Amino acid sequence: MPVITFKNLRKAYGSAEIIHGIDLVMEDHEFTVFVGPSGCGKSTILRMLAGLETVTSGQILMNGKDISQLEPIERDVAMVFQDYALYPHMNVAKNMSFALRLAKYPKAEISQRINNVAAMLGLETLLHRKPGQLSGGQRQRVAMGRALVRDASSLLMDEPLSNLDAKLRVQMRTELAIIRDKIEKNIIYVTHDQVEAMTLGDRIVVMREGSIQQHGTPQELFETPANKFVAGFMGMPPMNFMDATLVEENDKLLAHTACFSLPVKDLHNKHQLPSSGEVTIGIRPSALLPVVAADETSEHTLTLLIKVCEYTGSQSLLIAEANGVRVLVEVNSQPSFKVGDNIKFSVKPSDIYVFDRNTELAIY
Amino acid sequence: MTKKTVGRPKNPAFYALMVALLVMSLGPIIMMVTTSLKLNVDIMSDASSLWFSPTLENYETVLCDVLWYEPVNVDYCNPTFSRALGNSIFIALMSTAITLILGCMAAYALVRFKFMGRGTISMTSLMMRMVPPAVLLVPVFGIWTFNYGLDGTFAGIVLVYVAMNLPFVIWILQSFIVQVPMQLEEAAKMDGANPLQIFFLVVLPVITPGLAAAAIFTFRIAWNEFLLANALLNRDTRTVPVTIVNSLTEYDIDWGVIMATGMLLAIPPIIFTFVASKQIITGMTAGAVKG
Repeated sequence: MPVITFKNLRKAYGSAEIIHGIDLVMEDHEFTVFVGPSGCGKSTILRMLAGLETVTSGQILMNGKDISQLEPIERDVAMVFQDYALYPHMNVAKNMSFALRLAKYPKAEISQRINNVAAMLGLETLLHRKPGQLSGGQRQRVAMGRALVRDASSLLMDEPLSNLDAKLRVQMRTELAIIRDKIEKNIIYVTHDQVEAMTLGDRIVVMREGSIQQHGTPQELFETPANKFVAGFMGMPPMNFMDATLVEENDKLLAHTACFSLPVKDLHNKHQLPSSGEVTIGIRPSALLPVVAADETSEHTLTLLIKVCEYTGSQSLLIAEANGVRVLVEVNSQPSFKVGDNIKFSVKPSDIYVFDRNTELAIY
Repeated sequence: MTKKTVGRPKNPAFYALMVALLVMSLGPIIMMVTTSLKLNVDIMSDASSLWFSPTLENYETVLCDVLWYEPVNVDYCNPTFSRALGNSIFIALMSTAITLILGCMAAYALVRFKFMGRGTISMTSLMMRMVPPAVLLVPVFGIWTFNYGLDGTFAGIVLVYVAMNLPFVIWILQSFIVQVPMQLEEAAKMDGANPLQIFFLVVLPVITPGLAAAAIFTFRIAWNEFLLANALLNRDTRTVPVTIVNSLTEYDIDWGVIMATGMLLAIPPIIFTFVASKQIITGMTAGAVKG
């Protein structure tokens, strides 16, 4: 399986540049997920790799060979489309074998390949149905089967699960994770859903407005986000951000906000702090711990007024306010919290992320 | 007013209107059918026209040279009609086929390819359709006859019908092709189809209903057209409508035969429409993409 490399890849429509020089290496047999909000250019990158969009400048290398000017079929990639794009006049078997029939494969091999893939995806009984007679999940599987039958070295998926309902999406996500281990391929997957990205990807590329924000494993992205955008994008519910001023008191760093001050872990690159000490701090909703009565003495807490309590089962999401700033808190549903209560929360210093307020880069 | 009558017009004028419309639409057809089944004696007689002994003699006269037996009542077999029927079928099918082939390709190009003057071409082609055939008649006749020698040939009339119907067919098919999801074509491209394969193996099957609608339309126009056919065709290449009109002479009008011819003229379009409309199934693209 090839190593795919982007070298200073750019895409512009007229004077509007939408991909600003992407440099990226996707290793052999890796599941790479491109994630970002809509319009960030992630689909465009996938389509450039597929050969459906031209490359304005830069190179796409596959094992060192420049493929950026080749026709899609010459690139050894197969693609699963967001809306499935099944040929409505062909049955499932014909849909899956279309590429092989065009390439004039012998009939015996075509039927063998179809049977193999159909068995892997559980499509054996559906081979003679037309797409119109299939459910959403089945169509999704056929679309995947059509890409797998070709046995291309890389599989491109453009938001393949976004049209399924919530339950089916989770189910297909699991199936995808299982299939992924069965096939030895590079998979490049585009999604706007960070949960899909976290659960499926070996590596995640977070995109924003045509640039890569961070490239790394799900753990790296979650634990050490490179900037405020990545921190806010990865993780559900999203991170809370508050403006604060960092002050050093007795060799300890404290983050002062309008209504509370919290200790921050020792920063290794303090020299990157703005001289005014003005930063944005980020706290994950799960990092806020309610202070039990015995602990009341602790001085570094923040008091939050509970506005809404969203009960989701064993966990509840509290939407709270501190001095007009909205803060999300994820807590165990027991003990329960009442709307209108003022509750004290504490945060471990190591759970507080510090970002430069102007550049939004993380400071560790 | 009781509740029962709600939504049911009870006004006698409504029924009178219905009957009038029915008589107006069915009347001529019934008259054609009955007349075609009558002998000339019955047609000309003043007696009630509903009482007569039906006969197929008129049809035998019309079809005398294609029948497998020799009709006893036909003294002289005039092959004009059967020849005209053959001409009509040939001209209508040929012009339909050529119009569809050219039309679907042109429509595809106009929808999918970006080139200069695309919108203008699309609009002007439709405007051509607005020109009445009578206006075209004289110049076409002149050019066909004196410049190209196409008068009286099948090629000449087929060319005119193709030119006449192409704009409308392009227009119909454009609206169908626009609805073919772009992703479908991209999927085919990823599967290694070249542009021609994408067009013939993916796009055309999906727009079959559009092709069928366009075919019915084109066939009917070519089949019924009289004005240009009358001017451009000669004795041997005449179509049925022209033949019928030409059989109205000042010496003899054989109503029975004319009506039988009319009946036979009506049948092929019915068969063609029936066959073609089977292709018009809604939801051809069902399942292609998430709706």
